[in-house]
Amino acid sequence: MVDEGRALFLQIAESVEDAIIDGSLAEEAQAPSTNELASFHRINPATAAKGVNMLVDKGVLYKRRGIGMFVAPGARHLLLEERRSAFADRYVEPLLAEAAKIGLDADDLRALIRERASAHTTTGGSAL
Amino acid sequence: MTAFTPTASATPRGRIVNVVRMQFVNRMTFVWIPLIILAAVFVFSMVIWLMIPYGGPKYSGGAQALIWYLLAVGIQSLTLTFPFSQAMSVTRREFFFGTYLTAALTAALLAVVTTVGGLIESATGGWGLNGWMFYTDWTWASGPLGSALSVFALAMLTFTAGFWCATIYKRFGGIGLTLVLVGVGALLLVALWIIGRFNAWVAVFGWLASLGVVPLSLVVLAIVVVLAATEFWMLRRLTP
Amino acid sequence: MTSVIEVENLTKRYGDVIAVDDVGFKIEKDVIYGLLGRNGAGKTTVMSILTAQNFATSGDVRVFGEAPYENARVLPRMCFVRESQKYPDDAKAPHAFRTAKLFFPNWDQELCDRLVADFQLPMNRRIKKLSRGQLSAVGVIIGLASRAEITFFDEPYLGLDAVARQVFYDRLIEDYAAYPRTIILSSHLIDEVSNLIERVLVIDQGRIIMDETTDEVRDRAATIVGDAGAVEAFVAGREVIHRESLGRVVSVTVLGALTDDERRRLAASGLDVVPVSLQQLIVRMTQRAADSRVPNEGALR
Repeated sequence: MVDEGRALFLQIAESVEDAIIDGSLAEEAQAPSTNELASFHRINPATAAKGVNMLVDKGVLYKRRGIGMFVAPGARHLLLEERRSAFADRYVEPLLAEAAKIGLDADDLRALIRERASAHTTTGGSAL
Repeated sequence: MTAFTPTASATPRGRIVNVVRMQFVNRMTFVWIPLIILAAVFVFSMVIWLMIPYGGPKYSGGAQALIWYLLAVGIQSLTLTFPFSQAMSVTRREFFFGTYLTAALTAALLAVVTTVGGLIESATGGWGLNGWMFYTDWTWASGPLGSALSVFALAMLTFTAGFWCATIYKRFGGIGLTLVLVGVGALLLVALWIIGRFNAWVAVFGWLASLGVVPLSLVVLAIVVVLAATEFWMLRRLTP
Repeated sequence: MTSVIEVENLTKRYGDVIAVDDVGFKIEKDVIYGLLGRNGAGKTTVMSILTAQNFATSGDVRVFGEAPYENARVLPRMCFVRESQKYPDDAKAPHAFRTAKLFFPNWDQELCDRLVADFQLPMNRRIKKLSRGQLSAVGVIIGLASRAEITFFDEPYLGLDAVARQVFYDRLIEDYAAYPRTIILSSHLIDEVSNLIERVLVIDQGRIIMDETTDEVRDRAATIVGDAGAVEAFVAGREVIHRESLGRVVSVTVLGALTDDERRRLAASGLDVVPVSLQQLIVRMTQRAADSRVPNEGALR
């Protein structure tokens, strides 16, 4: 679950963000505590805290004194925006690089994407 | 769980008492085994006395076993309990005083047991068998207190000897210990040679024999104090 | 940040051999440190000196601002159970725990009992008859249940199987989260503990070669894999700490974080970037330190 490539606290933050995006962690719901995250991911609580603090700074979580961390209203929208603008860099670039390696051009890619996308919708697809 | 479970103390005296508790945590070592040894020796002696068809006084030398045991306890106090005390964050000073206090308590226990045994022994005329383990005329010459003191002194000496030799071994190695023991042996030889030179055997040993149990015990205790002092000095820089 | 331990110019000599070589560092309060290094690097020696079980040849050690030697104010606030700890003859685990309760003011018996159950420690067997793993468990339990303000764990997992090790790590994190304290964990299983430790102290041949946060260290290096020509072009001018090759494919580990731009360039050139695990990084850096040492210099002086 935890990979070596990126800083731990970023991965922790991302796991919380993923939960917000897919809806399992609703807005105004209580987010897992630092200690819970540390226990679950088996990491140092200070690292978990760093991830949580980053989310607070970003405006994704906010602190209710004495109670804990909660998902900020509008967090999901904020995260979706962020992910969409990063999508090209994170996913499209590597896709193009790999395609180039194996000799697929832009048209081939378009055809592939259309083909796969329609297969998804017929079998249920993903919610948006 | 129990009415009083001792916990950590912040005062120096409290911590030294806790070192005693630490030593006694396994009561086998300082209480039960010595008593078991004593009891076993007693039983064996009784059996042997019963078997021997001799009416005169029979002496049991079995109490020796206790001496060897105390020597072993002294040695292990250093080789095993000292490193453990370090892990318990006990200072060397606390360990030193606590361990000697423990040895004194055990020595006192043995003194009491052997003195009571001696009283019973003399009252029953050697357990009705003329068998003598605890009582000798010489050690009882100054009464039960003298006997108790002599046992106490001997027990302390044996424990200290073990503790002391083990410390020398740990700090100065096998060579160090050998040198020290050879040195002590040499000193004794020199003393004996001097006595021989002046043909003073009778004078010296006569004088020693005439010394009562009490003065001799005090001399032994003085030796224990000297050894303990050097022990303290060596312990200061000892690593577990 | 407050430091609870301050070490300056610490040196330990055994005759001609220098076991600890002019070492200096500060330990901050309530942080989990990894004291990492090869066997014989000096980890246990350093920990022994910090707890006054061993003595420095020269240098200064302050714990809570005071020298720890024979210091009954400071020593009970620390706990150091060493890797092959000796226990009194005939002692059983409950004896050891009862003694720990006498000397550690924060001792928690409930935690001790829970850990005994977790590790399935036999309470009726003499400690000298316990297996290596069970012996380690005794030490680990004392270390955790002591709740000492500074707790040292000296290769605590020797003999513990993977399940027991995970139990230790889990309980450590759990208890540290609830009762924050300074923890120094020495280990040569670096990857296993890399997620637990906040700061890394690497000691090699008696010298500290790294003293940083885990995040900083992770960023320190990357491994580039691919066609020899392309890789060499990229790594030109960078500090290389390891190189391996198989045919035309070469794997080079370089020091220095990669920017996003550089990552894009690498991807575009068809080169792979493989993350360097903490263990690999430290192993490589240790090897490098060993190689760069002039043959006649080094430990003997």
